[in-house]
Amino acid sequence: MNDRRVVVTGLGVVSPHGSDPATMFTRLMSGESVVREVTFETPTPYANVAAVVEDFDPSALLGAQLRSENIDRVTQLALAAAGAAVTDAAVEVGDDLRYRAGVSFGTGMGSSAAIEETHVQTLTRDPARVRPLTVLKVMNNASAGHIAASFGLAGPDLTYSCACSSSAVAIGEAYRQIRHGYADMMIAGGGEAPLTYSFFRAWDAMRVLAPIDRLRPASTCRPFDRRRAGLVLGEGAAMVVLEDREHAVRRGARIHAELVGYGSSNDYAHMTKPSVEGQARAMRLALDDRGTPAEEVDYVNAHGTGTVINDPTETRALKEVFGARAHTIPVSSTKSMHGHLLGGAGALEFVIAVLGLTSGAVPPTANLETADPECDLDYVPGKGRAGVELRCVMSNSFAFGGTNAVLLARRA
Amino acid sequence: MPTTAETIETILIDKFGVRRDAIRPEATLTELGLDSLDLIEVLFEVEEAFNIRVPQDGAAIRASTLQELLDTVTRLVEEEHAAPKVEQA
Repeated sequence: MNDRRVVVTGLGVVSPHGSDPATMFTRLMSGESVVREVTFETPTPYANVAAVVEDFDPSALLGAQLRSENIDRVTQLALAAAGAAVTDAAVEVGDDLRYRAGVSFGTGMGSSAAIEETHVQTLTRDPARVRPLTVLKVMNNASAGHIAASFGLAGPDLTYSCACSSSAVAIGEAYRQIRHGYADMMIAGGGEAPLTYSFFRAWDAMRVLAPIDRLRPASTCRPFDRRRAGLVLGEGAAMVVLEDREHAVRRGARIHAELVGYGSSNDYAHMTKPSVEGQARAMRLALDDRGTPAEEVDYVNAHGTGTVINDPTETRALKEVFGARAHTIPVSSTKSMHGHLLGGAGALEFVIAVLGLTSGAVPPTANLETADPECDLDYVPGKGRAGVELRCVMSNSFAFGGTNAVLLARRA
Repeated sequence: MPTTAETIETILIDKFGVRRDAIRPEATLTELGLDSLDLIEVLFEVEEAFNIRVPQDGAAIRASTLQELLDTVTRLVEEEHAAPKVEQA
């Protein structure tokens, strides 16, 4: 079997902290949460908090061929992030590469706005007046299909949907496509645009969203804190260009990092209750994938949702994998600042971890004032730390449905 | 108020990127650069604009010229709106 090394040569984000990775990272390092109040003028006025992609202008992407009414927000965000990643990779997709290049995309809830709009139209307006391309807009592989068409990628075109692990899985599976010789380049990542009234209501009904911090809405999400009370939704997309290392070297590409591990496991027990065993197993699988010693992991971007149950469970899993050293590895939850991007979370957080690797810096966990006694690791509270040497970074994603996905990157 | 022909032209130009100078009565919709998905959307937009229902017949529409589309729309508008249906009590 082919066993090729896989590197990251392009990073692209459309995040609640903007669309420039360096600026986004600087803002995260300062501990700036962009979580804010959002309201809906529905029959019953509704307010919540979320991390929103502000001032996103899709007009450069859209036109006569891609009309906004046919492209859900999640796909608009994904196309923009994919474009940024391809630009960053400075790669030309010509006929020599096209048939060896593909897309791997992750989304949990897909085209949330289009789904809501279709239901409103059919149930409360005129059911005969559904927009003609609704099927193409709401299908979960809409984003992957549009990315392939936009960039001329003729290889594997894959979509993964496993809730909050979706885009970590998409990156991990793309890595395997390249590693095992099915592709030379993959645009991989994911996105989510879940900030619709009906999806807020559905999340509310599960009682996992943090109640709004009325005094400081930006401080609503408090991972690892004693007062943490749930997650905060976010939206956005993040895409990376993964490449066969030899291919990247041959074309003189700038290499951000090497993807040296992917671990995939399931808790096989409960739809939502996380398992220490399942999470620890995914982390070990990622380490064993290329034989990375646990001692070389110098930062973990935690799943760190801020729910009552996630944070101590993840803490225990980290201790099981890293032993006593778990207490000295910086572990942070950037969800405290950019919210939970659900299907897009794994990709955004992998990008953040890679930016930490390349800039020698560890982003913080915001809003962490008094740690829960059960959460006793170094969560980098408040502000990030610069000037640190990082060899390997780990990014954890754990999902409803039990899917755990762990990515491991090494400095190139 | 714009004429029926002007409304259809505006839809084609503004929504589907058809060039104004390409619009001729004898041009087929396919010749205007519209693909199969564009065609069903053109029908949707035309239906919205005139509050009519165009019978489903994709093949006929695909081959039809702008003049034929205009004639169809004009006929449907007359049929559906000239004599308002009496509301049932």
